Amino acid sequence: MFEIVLADDGTVVVHGRLDAAQAVKAQAFLDQVKGQCVLDLAKLEYISSAGLGVLLKTHKRLMGTGSGIKLINVSHHIHDIFRYSGFDKLFEIVPAGH
Amino acid sequence: MQKKFKRSFDELKNIVKMTETVFDEMGLQPGLRNVVDLATEEIFVNMVTYNTESSEDILIEMLPHALGLEVRLTDYGVERFDPTSVAAVDINAPLDERTPGGLGLYLVMKMVDSIHYEYRNRQSKITFIVDRK
Repeated sequence: MFEIVLADDGTVVVHGRLDAAQAVKAQAFLDQVKGQCVLDLAKLEYISSAGLGVLLKTHKRLMGTGSGIKLINVSHHIHDIFRYSGFDKLFEIVPAGH
Repeated sequence: MQKKFKRSFDELKNIVKMTETVFDEMGLQPGLRNVVDLATEEIFVNMVTYNTESSEDILIEMLPHALGLEVRLTDYGVERFDPTSVAAVDINAPLDERTPGGLGLYLVMKMVDSIHYEYRNRQSKITFIVDRK
């Protein structure tokens, strides 16, 4: 199961498993985002390199317009993936519970 | 447990179900799931994406191992491609130099406890072990 939706407060909320089968859906949604994007990952259970690629592509596009992606409510195991990938140096990340 | 999967990303959900069953049956720590899921997906996706000369299903075996779990993926009728020889990704590169390419296999190498590649009779076999530590 994977869902990506825009919450009332403008935050983009991601649910479920962002794998290679869902990357196209996630990219299509994020391609519509303009300006600063806050991604709430509290309910993201899993991410693979295909999902990381979606985040990277979107972040690069938005950074080109002076904004970018901020990742909030990042769980410990998702943060491990970001750290192993070097994404902790590229994105503003707010861990869960902060 | 062993199962064959079609060369489609749509099979990922079925691979996850297989892994769930294996974890339940073997009583493995749920904390190992993410590493097993990620490594299995990345290797499977790599085979589907790059071994396009084959239309054979991909065999996945998950076996108990003294240290935890052994996972083996076999691709039939393909050219040699050793994922353990792929160049490392520069994770310290600035944003404008970063691309997603190579990241999946890099993560596999980083996260599993051991990995082995074997090529024989046009069969690519990748085996990794995830330690129950």
